[in-house]
Order: sequence, then C-alpha cells, then structure tokens
Amino acid sequence: MSSAATAQAPQTTRSAGHQVARTILRAPISRRTWTDLLYAVADFPLALIGFVFAVATFAAGVALALTFIGLPLLAASGLAGRRFAGVHRALARKVLHERISGPRPFESSPGILGWLQAALRDAPSWRARAYLVLKFPLAYLTLGGAAFIWAQGVLCVTWPIWWWAGWEAVFVRPDINLGSWPRMLLVVLVGVLCLLAAPWIVRGLVWLDCALMRGLLSSSGSDRVRQLEVARAQVVDDSATTLRRIERDLHDGTQAQLATLAMTLGQAKEKLERRTNVPYDPDGALDLVDAAHRHAKEALVELRDIARGIHPPALDVGLDAALATLVARSAVPAVLNAEIPVRPAKAIETIAYFTVAELLANVTKHSRARHATVEVSEHEDILRLIVSDDGIGGARPGGGSGLLGLTERVRAVDGQLQVTSPPGGPTVITIELPLHA
Amino acid sequence: MSMRVVIAEDAAIFRDGLTGLLADRGHEVVAAVSSGTDLVNAVAEHHPDVAVVDIRMPPTFTDEGLKAAIAIRTGHPDVGVLMFSQYIETRYATQLLGHNSAGVGYLLKDRVADTSEFVDALTRVAAGGTALDPEVVTQLLATGNHGQALDETLTRRENQVLALMAEGRSNAAIAATLVVGEGAVEKHVANIFAKLGLPSSHHDNRRVLAVLRYLQG
Repeated sequence: MSSAATAQAPQTTRSAGHQVARTILRAPISRRTWTDLLYAVADFPLALIGFVFAVATFAAGVALALTFIGLPLLAASGLAGRRFAGVHRALARKVLHERISGPRPFESSPGILGWLQAALRDAPSWRARAYLVLKFPLAYLTLGGAAFIWAQGVLCVTWPIWWWAGWEAVFVRPDINLGSWPRMLLVVLVGVLCLLAAPWIVRGLVWLDCALMRGLLSSSGSDRVRQLEVARAQVVDDSATTLRRIERDLHDGTQAQLATLAMTLGQAKEKLERRTNVPYDPDGALDLVDAAHRHAKEALVELRDIARGIHPPALDVGLDAALATLVARSAVPAVLNAEIPVRPAKAIETIAYFTVAELLANVTKHSRARHATVEVSEHEDILRLIVSDDGIGGARPGGGSGLLGLTERVRAVDGQLQVTSPPGGPTVITIELPLHA
Repeated sequence: MSMRVVIAEDAAIFRDGLTGLLADRGHEVVAAVSSGTDLVNAVAEHHPDVAVVDIRMPPTFTDEGLKAAIAIRTGHPDVGVLMFSQYIETRYATQLLGHNSAGVGYLLKDRVADTSEFVDALTRVAAGGTALDPEVVTQLLATGNHGQALDETLTRRENQVLALMAEGRSNAAIAATLVVGEGAVEKHVANIFAKLGLPSSHHDNRRVLAVLRYLQG
C-alpha cells in the first residue's frame, strides 16, 4: 500500500507540470480567453457612454449648483449612475459569470426635498459614478491592449507569408531588413510569445475591472447588514406563515376527519352494546363502521399530503428525485432535465424544491400554458433552476403571483431570481442558488 | 324529548356526521350552516332549542363562532348554545359564560366520540343547564385568580368535587365518578359552599353559576 503510494508520487508531480504547460499552451484557444475578449469589446461602448454621462452630468450639476436645477441634476445623475452600474454588473454576470451582488435599492424619503436629500446622500450612487469615471480608461486599456497584442502576435506568426507575398513594406520601414531566415524565425518566435501572453494580459485587465466592480458596485458592509436583516425578517415571517398554513390544514382537514371518525365509531359501538337508551342494531352499526373506514382512508390521504407539504420524503433521496415526483404531479404537463453532479446543501435543496413547486403551481394557476419545463444544472458552485412555460406570459413580481415572496426567499440565501415574461409569453424564470448556504 | 337543533360548522364532513348522529337519536336538525352570520340568521328564523357552534369559521378562522354565540345569547336568551372547538381557550369560556351560565356549553370536539355523553350534554344545554368540558374546568381552576387560595382553602377531595360541579354534574353523577356515596358528596358540597361563603342550593345550574362567579372573581 505504502510502496504503491511512493511510486505514484513522482508521476503526480510530472502530471502537475504537464497540467501547467497544457494550460499555458491551450490558453489562446480556451473558452475563457474568448469570453474575456467578448467582454472587452462589448463593454467598451458602454464604458464610453457611462464616462461621458458621469463627467457631463457631474460638471453640469456642479456648475449649476446655485440654481434650481443643479442639485436635482446631480441627484438624478446619481440614480441613473446606479442603473449604469446595474448594466455593468449584468454584463459581467452574463459574459464572465462573475456574480457581484448589487447594493440595496435606493430608498427615497417623502417629499421632493426628502428625495433630493436621500439621493444626494446615497453612497452607492456616488460609488457608481466613481466607477464610471475610472472604468473608461481601464476599458480603453483593455480593448486597446487586447487589440494590439493579438494583432501583433498574429502578424508576427504569419510574417513569412507576408514577406513571401512581398507585402512586408506595408508593416515595416524599408531600412529594416527582416528578410533573412534567422531574423524571420525570431519574428515568428516573438509572435508566438505574444499569442501565448495575450490571454493572460487581457485576463489580468478584466480581473482588475472585476475587482473595481466588487469594490465600488457591490453592496457595502452596512448594505450587507441591512440586506441580511431584511432576509432574516423574511425567513422568520416565512416560517410563521408556513406553520400557520400547516395548522390550518390540520385543523380543517385531518382533525375534522378524525373527530368525525371517532363520532361514527362511537355511534356504531353504542348500537352494538345493547344499552337501554340505544336500540341494538347490528346492520346500522355495520353501515357506520363502513363510513368510519372511508373517513379513516380519507384522513390518511390528507395527512400524507400535509406531510409532503412540510417535507417531501423524496428530498432525502435527492433534489432530482423530489423534482421528478413534483413534475409528474403537475397539472400542466411538464418535463424535467436535471444535471446535479454535486449534491447541494439540504437547506438549498429544500428552497429549490419549494420554489419550483410554487412556480409550477403558478404555471397551473395563471399561465394557461400547455407545457412546462424544469431545467436544473450546476456551474461553479451555483445551482441554476429554470422553470419555463409556453403560456400567456405577463408574470411580474408583485402581480399577486407570489413572485415577490419567492424572490425574497431566494435572496435570503444570496440567490437570485429573474423573471422574463413578455405579454404573450413565453415565461422563463431563472433561479440561481449557491450550492452551500 | 326531541330537540330542534341548528348546527354551525365549516368542515362539511363533520357537519354531516353530526347531523346524522342527531337524526339517529330522534332529534331534528332544522339548519346546518357554515358561517357565523348564517348561524345568527338561522337561529332568528327557526328559533331552535339549542345551537351547536364551531368557534373557528370563515372568513377569518379565529372566533366568528364565539361572536355569533354571544349575539345569540343576547338576542335569544332562551336558545341554548353549545360551543364546539378543537381547542379550549379559557378566555372564550369566560366571555361566553359572562355572568350567566344557564343554557351554555363549551366542549372539545373530541367529546363526540362518546356519543351518549355528548347527546346528554346537548340535552342539558337545551334544557337551560350547563355543560363544560373537563378541560375548560381544569384551565379555569388553574388560571383563575383564586386558584392558589382555593388550593389552600379546599381539601383535595373538595377540589375534585368542585371541578365536577363546574362541569355541570349532579351530586349523583359526582358520587358515581368518585366512587363514593351520594351522602359524602352532599357533605363535600356543603363544606365547599360554607368555605366559599355561598348559599347552598340543589339546583345544578345555580351551583355552576356560583362556582364560575367565584372563579371569575
């Protein structure tokens, strides 16, 4: 056993070395490299607009500070800055899968003056504008640097072709001669080095941008405390509501059924007891026992439904098993595609299950859909659930569909819930939960 | 004696069961409703001997039944009211009893399992008597302001007799329950009234009234 372990050790080191070499050599064609480039390109126009906007509105606001419109302009600029920041965060999430949780929403005070004061004091909107100002040079550097080094690399690597085609004069001054074979080899080598270095340079700059976003656009410590307070209140509320619902279900259903059962059996018993006040009646008693038997079976069904509402037993087997049962019981025909290689924490599984349960119930109640789909996948410690249907759309948080409550519940574990539901459909609801709360 | 009964209960299965049971015993269920408002209307229309009232009913599922019961007690004092619930709330009991326990009952729903006892209790309430669940009595004795004083003043046996009296039982029934002679019970009752400074009476109803008045302070 121990000899086998020592024999394997050098091999592991060598394969680790291989791993590093492979990563470096494969970097130019890796997926991450292209998403970085895509981000650099897509982000640049946004950064330019944001920069111009932030500088212009700030300058105008300060210049007009002594007039009526100066301060409102500054305030409005800050709130718009928050929007810009949101777009930047969304882009980072979509392209880079970089999740940066935003600050708490702006909270206005009553009255125009209250609004003005709250907006001018709102730290996130000042930080958002600071980001917009810093972002532009960085985006410029990223895009420019990426373009330069990639172009340089490609040009150098293909240098023999240019030279052979007689186009070298387009790229180099006539007094520099790169035509000899050793020099040409050197140029190609420089090109290879450029191509190998390019992904890392761009990645470094993108990383810097993400760090800047985390510093300026994410929720600050006090925001976080506030968010957690709201989440905690939500969780407490939620469990109180759940307990009340369970009590109501037990009271209206099972307790009434069991009381009736006891009453029926009591009646039957007295008919068999040959008492003075109740006539002996075995046939009547049999009818009553029959009814009691029926009540007992109904009570069992009801109790099972209530128990499932508290904790679905299939959840102990796994989220996919529980969701399969849920999907099979859905009134609107639904299919499940689940890829869950790493099992999430129990609490996350429970939240995922009940969120999907409520969304499927929404599909049945509101969407008029003919089909629904539940997709579950995992990406880098994130559990993603997508519930979609081909119904009439128009679902929105706060529309009485319980989406607001679901959003809050998901947020309580630092998850996110996004609703895409244009009028006419289709409705797609995406939930992202951390694998471990 | 056949009674005319109104039932107010929102769980259909239980309402039907109760209706069947009472019909089986030769009583007439003149109306079976599922809300407090319907109950008050049904009582005004049919003027029954007794109403069986579930405390929790729609729309708020809190104490609609209790409110309706109090309304009936005020508007139709000669109609007996038997409150029926999954839980016993002491406050509901004291509110319903007010200062008059004639024609009032408060039982746990579980008591229907003993059919005859339940029908007896209902008959008692219809006739202007009282039927309190042992649970109600226990809670009243435990939470009443005089609970401690009672423990000190009364012997254990006298406490038991008092509790049974509060349920609305006669001396004969108390004697049977405690497996003692009726004479012994009469002696205990006389002692209790003497210790509490209440005039003795042979009427069950006035005995309960007296006990409850004492408990309510």
